[in-house]
Amino acid sequence: MTIRNRIEYLWPARRRREEREMREELGSLIAIAGSRELGNLTLAMENVRATWGWTWLDSILADIRYSLRALGRQPAFAAVAVLSLALAIGANSAIFSFADALLLRPLPVKTPAALFDVGSTTPDNSLEGMSFPDYRDLRDKSRSFSGLAAYRITTLAAAASPAAPAQIRFAALVSDNFFAVAGVTPSAGRAFLPDEASAQPVAMVSYDFRQQNYAGGHSAIGSRLRLNGIVFTIVGVAPASFTGLDRFVRPSIFVPLGMAQRLDGEPADPLEDRGRHNLVVKGRLSAGVSQESAQAELAIIGAALEREYVKTNRNRHMAIRTELQRRILQTPQLLALVKMLMGLVALILIIACSNVANLLLARSRARSREIAIRLSIGAGRRRVVRQLMTESLIVAMAGGAAGLFVAYGGILLLQTLSVPSDPPNVLGVQLDWRVVRFSLLAALGSCLFFGLPPAWQTARTDFVSALKAGGEGTSGRGRTFGRDVLVAGQIALAMVVLIAAGMFLAGFRNMLAMPPEFRTDHLITLDTAPAVLHYSPEQTKAFYRRLVDRVRTMPGVAGVAMTEALPLSPAQTVVTVVPEGYQFPKGRETEVAFGAAVDAGYFSALNVEIKRGRAFTDHDRAQSRRVAIVNQQFAKTFWPDQDPIGKRIRLGSADGPAAEVVGVAKTGHYLAVNETPSPFVYVPYEQNPRSRMTLVVQSAGDAGALAKPLRDAVRSIDGNVPVFNLRTVATLYESRVTDTWLQFFQMVGTMGFIGLALATAGLYGLVAYTVSRRVKEFGIRVAVGASRRDVVWLVERRGLILSGVGIAIGGALTAAAEPILAAGFPGLGVSSPVVYVLVPLALLMVSAVASYVPARRAAGLDPLRALRNE
Amino acid sequence: MLVLRTLLAGALHGYGIAKNIRSASNEALDIEFGSLYPALKRLEAKGWIASAWETSEHNRRAKFYKLTAAGRKRLVREHSKWADFVSAVGRIMGTLPEVKG
Repeated sequence: MTIRNRIEYLWPARRRREEREMREELGSLIAIAGSRELGNLTLAMENVRATWGWTWLDSILADIRYSLRALGRQPAFAAVAVLSLALAIGANSAIFSFADALLLRPLPVKTPAALFDVGSTTPDNSLEGMSFPDYRDLRDKSRSFSGLAAYRITTLAAAASPAAPAQIRFAALVSDNFFAVAGVTPSAGRAFLPDEASAQPVAMVSYDFRQQNYAGGHSAIGSRLRLNGIVFTIVGVAPASFTGLDRFVRPSIFVPLGMAQRLDGEPADPLEDRGRHNLVVKGRLSAGVSQESAQAELAIIGAALEREYVKTNRNRHMAIRTELQRRILQTPQLLALVKMLMGLVALILIIACSNVANLLLARSRARSREIAIRLSIGAGRRRVVRQLMTESLIVAMAGGAAGLFVAYGGILLLQTLSVPSDPPNVLGVQLDWRVVRFSLLAALGSCLFFGLPPAWQTARTDFVSALKAGGEGTSGRGRTFGRDVLVAGQIALAMVVLIAAGMFLAGFRNMLAMPPEFRTDHLITLDTAPAVLHYSPEQTKAFYRRLVDRVRTMPGVAGVAMTEALPLSPAQTVVTVVPEGYQFPKGRETEVAFGAAVDAGYFSALNVEIKRGRAFTDHDRAQSRRVAIVNQQFAKTFWPDQDPIGKRIRLGSADGPAAEVVGVAKTGHYLAVNETPSPFVYVPYEQNPRSRMTLVVQSAGDAGALAKPLRDAVRSIDGNVPVFNLRTVATLYESRVTDTWLQFFQMVGTMGFIGLALATAGLYGLVAYTVSRRVKEFGIRVAVGASRRDVVWLVERRGLILSGVGIAIGGALTAAAEPILAAGFPGLGVSSPVVYVLVPLALLMVSAVASYVPARRAAGLDPLRALRNE
Repeated sequence: MLVLRTLLAGALHGYGIAKNIRSASNEALDIEFGSLYPALKRLEAKGWIASAWETSEHNRRAKFYKLTAAGRKRLVREHSKWADFVSAVGRIMGTLPEVKG
């Protein structure tokens, strides 16, 4: 049969026409010759149909039709099964999209699997970037890569037109081959040319930036764009799908790396500084080169550079990593969180599958007669299993599809999670094809899990006895053993999820109880960046001095302070320190600690307690003796059991300037409330001027009311200086501490609730089922004098035993899983004994209620009717 | 091939073909119509025979099959292949020599 014919026959109407024709023809022949003469016509017709080539499709369609009818006959079963799966698959898909955004989603480039990260490692830091000279040497010498691109993320003050005010935007300074190596074609215009790598004021913009600033059309190409005061020409627009090579930062603007010096207004070209290891390098491996052989080559090149440039490259090695390896190294805590969340939702999926399996088992008992008939008239067991699996598959697919809606709801919730920053960081939780595929896969997997065992068991039915027993089957004790195991397992898993939720709640409460260790009320802060206007260091200092003086005299202002980094803001600064007398571990010569330049007003404005010594004063000037203040943790780490006052710290390196410790501040929280206590160094701003400072203003009244006057104050000094991150400290604190964790808690709490609901439904279903099977037995018991209470207890006992066994297993599982759970939310006191008592009690209570409902029904049976039922 | 050969003489309906083959082979080949019918359909799908409703000798409507041009070509080819085969087998077998039982 030709392909064309076959495809024609795929069309059902065509097959129906052929069928009619065939019947008519055979009918006419019967009239001529008589059917006896013609032989087995049914078989003949079947054989003809087989030549059409779609019998398998027909039989599958028949299976599906049959399954739909079977499911339609028991809508309650179908609804419960689909609902269970929808909740579980939805939760899984939502968490998957979250994990995707945090860790898993591949880069939006061509064949992302072939694009590797190339970085440098030192004994202190395994995740350093590369300097431009190192990158250039690597690009020239390496044979393993078909392309190596370098870039660096920065923020720029961007104005789309000469008149528009400058806005802070994320930008990527990129090597000329950046888009070629990524395999990304501009949606309009062109990418950078090789000779534009050095100092050509040309720029590419992201698709979103184009949409926002140059509504539609190709008009963006050739437009002028002012970046940090320099006029650039736009030569290309990146496609909408390309959001950069970082997870949480989406650059709006791309400019050649060669422009770095002019954009930052630096006296020396940063690209010639071998000591600045701040470039991210991505390389595409040549065909046939493995990661291992590339690593071997990098080791050789790195060693050569180390010999040649001892000063900058000592102990520095090169490393090639997959994108996922790099992400895990960058944020190991996210991996822990993802593992924990995925683990919990997987448990929920197992609970839901057990539920459906249980329902199927109950149903298969009721259907054993139907199956027996089908087997006895010659259906193959395989065929019966296939039919039952079709049913399971339909349930699973319906559950998966409905689960997508559940997932969408979850994703909407997750999208409200954000890191407060300006320009905004992006957490790309979204419902995309990856999530849809994941849902379908989850549905398929769960179908095998819940469908196959019951189907197999059903098909093994001994049809003779099933037919004899008249559809009732035998109701021996052993018959529900498999289902008992399932229900006990469900309760055990629900317990794990609930304990996780409880631990999270306990940790969350602990965290709320933790004092911020600094004032959060009556404070408003703002960031400025005069450096983008190429202020000289002196101009910057003068700008900040004028700003502080002006704000101090504003009405409603109780105090002003400046800091390089506000505690708990997402961007914390670190300093390299060499504490006097500290014995470094082998191989290390410096330590890195959180640190910030602050002014004299900082400690009083933020109410940071000075435990010993003094705070900075206005007498700590650029010309006076260098001083520093450390926190208690710093003193404890580097000078245990010694007096820190009077000790000296070298800043930057062993040859850096030495500062004398004049005070000890109370240890606070710097990046997150639940972090382990971290060493922190304060240095006076006057002695360590920075190009970019955060202003903290203490208000007499409502802090929010100061927002506009503050903006005006900056504008009155220089209208071109961008103002950003203008917000009250209370807002920052809430979004950093309360909101995010509340959302995590809601997430885990919802999982716990779903788990509990599903497990309860499973227990109820099983107990109710046993009651219905033991109607006769209860009838006899009541007839011979058992009281209602006896019967209730009989049923209750069963439910409670199951739940008790489940709780015992759950306890063991939780103990085993605790390290994974604890890793998911570090620093919170998680082993709360209350949780371990409350959760089992709650489970027992719920089980008691779930079994009481069918128990009452059993006790309410009229013995006569129960017996007559037989 | 047998069907094609049978239809060379003229159009026939399904049962007629079966009867024809039987009588042409002196009842040696008793092909049941039930087995023949799927083969007919296959030949039709391949375009070697075509069918049309006609009225039979007893004034009854029936579907008549006739050879198409493609079928005729096919028959010629099949027939020569068959003839080759028969002559090859014939050469090997020859006339049966005296076999001692």
